[in-house]
Amino acid sequence: MKTALKYLAASIAFIVAIAPVYWLITISLKREVDQFAYPPQWAGFVVTLEHYKEAFGSSSFSAYFLNSVLLAGISTSAALLIGVPAAYGLARFEWPANWGDRIGDWILSTRMLPPIVTIVPLFLMLREARLLNSLVGLSIVYTAFNLPFVVWMMRGFFDEVPREIEEAAMLDGESRVGALLRIVLPLVKPGLAATAVFCLVVAWNEFLFALILTQTEAAMTLPVGIASRVTQYEIKWGAMSAAGVVAMLPVLVFASAAQKYLVRGLSLGAVKG
Amino acid sequence: MKRRVPEGFWWVLPALVVLVSLSIYPLIYSVKLSLSNPGNFSRLFSDRLFAAAGVQTIVLTAAALTVEFLLGLALAVLIDSLARGRAFFRTGLLVPMLLPPVVAAVAWRLIYNPQFGMLNGMLRQIGFNTEWLTWTSGQNSALASVILVDVWEWTPFLFLLLSAGLQAIPPEPLEAARIDGAGAWRIFRDVTLPLLKPTILLALLLRAMDLVRIFDQIFILTQGGPGTATETVSLYIYRTAFRFSNFGYAAAMSFVLLAATMLFSRGLMRVMRSR
Repeated sequence: MKTALKYLAASIAFIVAIAPVYWLITISLKREVDQFAYPPQWAGFVVTLEHYKEAFGSSSFSAYFLNSVLLAGISTSAALLIGVPAAYGLARFEWPANWGDRIGDWILSTRMLPPIVTIVPLFLMLREARLLNSLVGLSIVYTAFNLPFVVWMMRGFFDEVPREIEEAAMLDGESRVGALLRIVLPLVKPGLAATAVFCLVVAWNEFLFALILTQTEAAMTLPVGIASRVTQYEIKWGAMSAAGVVAMLPVLVFASAAQKYLVRGLSLGAVKG
Repeated sequence: MKRRVPEGFWWVLPALVVLVSLSIYPLIYSVKLSLSNPGNFSRLFSDRLFAAAGVQTIVLTAAALTVEFLLGLALAVLIDSLARGRAFFRTGLLVPMLLPPVVAAVAWRLIYNPQFGMLNGMLRQIGFNTEWLTWTSGQNSALASVILVDVWEWTPFLFLLLSAGLQAIPPEPLEAARIDGAGAWRIFRDVTLPLLKPTILLALLLRAMDLVRIFDQIFILTQGGPGTATETVSLYIYRTAFRFSNFGYAAAMSFVLLAATMLFSRGLMRVMRSR
């Protein structure tokens, strides 16, 4: 009896968590006459792909999609390229008087700045540099946004690799960089992959910076493109839901791939998952 | 004695350059911007819209945090106690938090719409009169509706961290309490909760820091409306800077938000250090 109640409660929570997502998917697949029919249709409606065709054919969502892919890829690569050596430097070298920890804390604290605080000056700076409405400008901002996270995560992973391993390799004639590339990085590969996934997801989901720094059709990302449709008076719910479904799929796939590291990533490593 | 630059410094330097030029320099720029008109800071104290946005942000943060914590803890304990299907329930419960916030908010617009939304449709089906249920477009219900979406979206975060915390508790103290004849509730209150406290603190601080800056969902759901009923500090700053082009005043307001965040982040660093 008690067990049955527990499973009932868990199932209700599960349904409440999933139902809005399921509803969004059904709206994206329904004909316009069925979308807002009363009573609400949960299943058994006529399935159509017209909204997906509209969103990614005639409407500009495929351009937004490409922008989002490029942005996430470029900014994640850049953040890893700059952040991994920094993490290694903090984890592996002797620092006088706790400077390693202090620099690490400072780097993490920049991550905690609310975006709305830095967006006003960043908007003006990028305007002066003529980098508004460009992938370059937004990539730079996303790189800086993800960098503290990369340093913090990778430092934790490097700490878990015993120093003796690369010291032995260096005695055998490897250089420091060679030891990092050939010995240490392969050992932390799962952690590196998880870190990359987190950066990709953050860049993919990000809204506020993109909203302000990309205002032309050609430069918009997927979330901004969706938002620009939502706030209009006449809303094409079907095309927008289709775009929403496409926007959420990669995130769900990536997140399930990195599930093992979800806790560590979301708690900035404070809870080892 | 000659001072040498530590070798690790060269490895960290590029990251420091990027962060100084894109985090610290903008802050300095922002200080200059806000001081360009000395009236900016005094205006903070007489601006009723800013005060209202502050109150709405605090109400939203406090309410959402409380509900998300209690629900998240209950769910963590519940799922942890299941004999089978834990992974299945956990995966489903995490979905809302992983979605792009914009997509989550779009889904909720489809649910909340007073005329054709799924929620009112379902309530009518079971016999409710839904004419007065206007959710995000009602002056009195808008803020609560926004809080409800945040609870849906972020209770999973509390659930996830608290679940991890529960699993990290060593079994011995629980065993010992059970052998001493303590009941389930007493074990939970006197053994589990104290052991879980650092995780609870960490989760609450991380969540609070995110809540005081909330923007995305509200921007899609209500744009801060109706009127300014759901306008938070972030949305008001956005409006001031990018609708009214008053960058100086927006910068001044953003320092209030920064101060609140620093308070949380100092607490957070302390909790993280002690682990």
